[in-house]
Amino acid sequence: MRAWPFLAAAVIVAAIVFALARYLENDYVFYAGYVVLQFIVLATAWNILGGYTGYVNFGSAAFFALGAYTSVFFHKAYPLPIPVLMVIGGVVSGIVGLGMGYLTLRLRGAFFAIATLALAVVLQTLIINWTYVGGARGAYVIRPNEIPILGSYIQYLFLLMLVLAVLAVATARLIERSRLGYGFATIRDDELAAEACGVPTLGLKLIATTLSGAFMGMAGAPFPYYIGYIEPASTFGLAYAVNSIAMPMIGGTTTWIGPLIGAILLGLLQQIATVTISSAVNLLIVGMLLVDFVIIAPNGIVGLVKERRTASNVVVEPTVFVLLFVLNLSPMYFLVEQGTAAQSIGLVFWLVLAYVAHMRGRVLGRWWLIAFPLAGILFAFAPAITAIPVTTAIFASTILQIICVACGLLPMRRPAEASAR
Amino acid sequence: MTIPYDLLLNAVIAGLLLGGFYAAVTAGVSISFGILDIVNIAHPGFIILGSYIAYIINIRLGVDPIVASVVMAPVFYALGSTIYQVYYLSFERRGQEALRGLAFFFGLLFITEVGLILVFGVDYRYVDASYIGPSLHLGNAHFPLRLLVPCLVSLVLFTGLHLFLTRTFMGRAINAVSQDQLALQLMAADPIRIKRVAFAISIAIAGVAGALLIVIQPVEPSVGREYIGRIFAICVLGGLGSLPGTLIAAMLLGLMESFTSTFYGPSWSPAVSFGFLLLTLAVRPAGLLGR
Repeated sequence: MRAWPFLAAAVIVAAIVFALARYLENDYVFYAGYVVLQFIVLATAWNILGGYTGYVNFGSAAFFALGAYTSVFFHKAYPLPIPVLMVIGGVVSGIVGLGMGYLTLRLRGAFFAIATLALAVVLQTLIINWTYVGGARGAYVIRPNEIPILGSYIQYLFLLMLVLAVLAVATARLIERSRLGYGFATIRDDELAAEACGVPTLGLKLIATTLSGAFMGMAGAPFPYYIGYIEPASTFGLAYAVNSIAMPMIGGTTTWIGPLIGAILLGLLQQIATVTISSAVNLLIVGMLLVDFVIIAPNGIVGLVKERRTASNVVVEPTVFVLLFVLNLSPMYFLVEQGTAAQSIGLVFWLVLAYVAHMRGRVLGRWWLIAFPLAGILFAFAPAITAIPVTTAIFASTILQIICVACGLLPMRRPAEASAR
Repeated sequence: MTIPYDLLLNAVIAGLLLGGFYAAVTAGVSISFGILDIVNIAHPGFIILGSYIAYIINIRLGVDPIVASVVMAPVFYALGSTIYQVYYLSFERRGQEALRGLAFFFGLLFITEVGLILVFGVDYRYVDASYIGPSLHLGNAHFPLRLLVPCLVSLVLFTGLHLFLTRTFMGRAINAVSQDQLALQLMAADPIRIKRVAFAISIAIAGVAGALLIVIQPVEPSVGREYIGRIFAICVLGGLGSLPGTLIAAMLLGLMESFTSTFYGPSWSPAVSFGFLLLTLAVRPAGLLGR
């Protein structure tokens, strides 16, 4: 598809989404949908730099908060309509991105990543000490309840974010198919070779950082109006940083559709999860999925679908097998505390465990290894259906998984089989 | 404005003592990032983990936190060894360390922090030891033992590490692996094994540094994030892989932070390290004593 038909299609999809949300006549849909859309913008923005050029930005929260606090500043100094604030927030974040990039992108990639990590801490320090925008106490932003034409204000915010999401995804796709995108790809694959071939690497990297920062700032600008009360600790929180990295990584980093898939899946999962479990457990789940995906499926969901066999066989290595097992088992104990409804989210981790056990079992010729995690699923849901007490079920399940790890680590009996590996 | 002499003197002392502690915190990253070229941003996570383990042992068994951390060092060594093995197999071998390796360590940092929050909550935790309250007085100069003891332990650790890296066979092998991996292979040494040992040492040091941290200040899970900027600022400023440079840079940063918090207020001190980092990257990316 060319750029314009794609944009038209995206607008139609967005219109359908908006019509559906209005049809449901429930404001909660708009509140939840806004967050998912915001993550689509953040994930896509992150991917323009991280996925296309291969430079990792850990400071998404900083760029996001910069946009949000620009809005707070103007709300106090000189109230402006939100679309204008989004443009201003985008410009401010874009400029900071450019400056950061100019200082650090001439060096090795790792320096840029570290500098973005530190940027979040420093901007937070600045905001805490700047009382005009609320300082550490935070600031209230009273938004009107109603707006002409649309009715409730949240619908207006939802619509703005929807437009921004369409814009971000369309821009990402446009970049991917343009000279710019090919330039980015050369940087990702081999920067030295690209430089030698006359690709203006520094210029391209600066364009990517500025664009990426600008979109993050734009996503942050309406945030104070959405949340109503803004304070540094949560605005600079890890949730934004980890989500905007995890979403493209889980979806797939090299195409525009990867971050979109990742953001919709993870965003919806978290919106469902926040109803049943605490926000800390929520973040733990995202972190676990990030680690699982970078090890098991380096090209994300898109890679899994496209190549089918990319799911790397690295999981069969004993150390990786053990680490993945321990990591994926640990959230179960926190999920149990959150009640039975949370168990269904634990299913994701049980499936990862089953996959890991299956791969390891296949290499060892012990196909029955997969039975242990499957039995774990049964035990996880048993207390809800039968009279087995929760503690007994957890205990039994833990014993089973320990046996599974032990069986997975035992050396093979027949050396002939080992050489066939 | 005239600066009171006592205040200045004590700010210098506090800064130098703090700098000594920062040296221990950074030593691990100096090995992993400086020598091995592994961008282990999860390092502060392991430090905080060390703090909490020292805390548990101190509260449950009443053991001195620093002694406890030295006893626990082999456990951290094993942990580091496992993590390097996974990192090598999943990322380094496939040439994906730039993007996915970083994301992996970020995920680990994140999991440690959230896991600790889930287990211990966000309350500040502190330890009991005889040297936490009192100070040593020499005229107008005050040496708080709370800072002096970690600083001395850290200097011992740092000297030991420097001797290990320059005098022993393994230490020289670790330096060699950063210079030419292929040449090492030609001499029938396994570079992966050497890197694993070096990375495991860096994590073991992180565990000990964690115990020093909880002696100096009360700890809660997100304290680690403040240290990311500090650690890498010191590491880059000192020159990658140069231990003497790291020590000088740590002292400098300690002094700067001590002055900032004495004369402008402690809420500004996190910004100092970042300023340092950006300035170094812009002016002299090779660091003070860089190769």
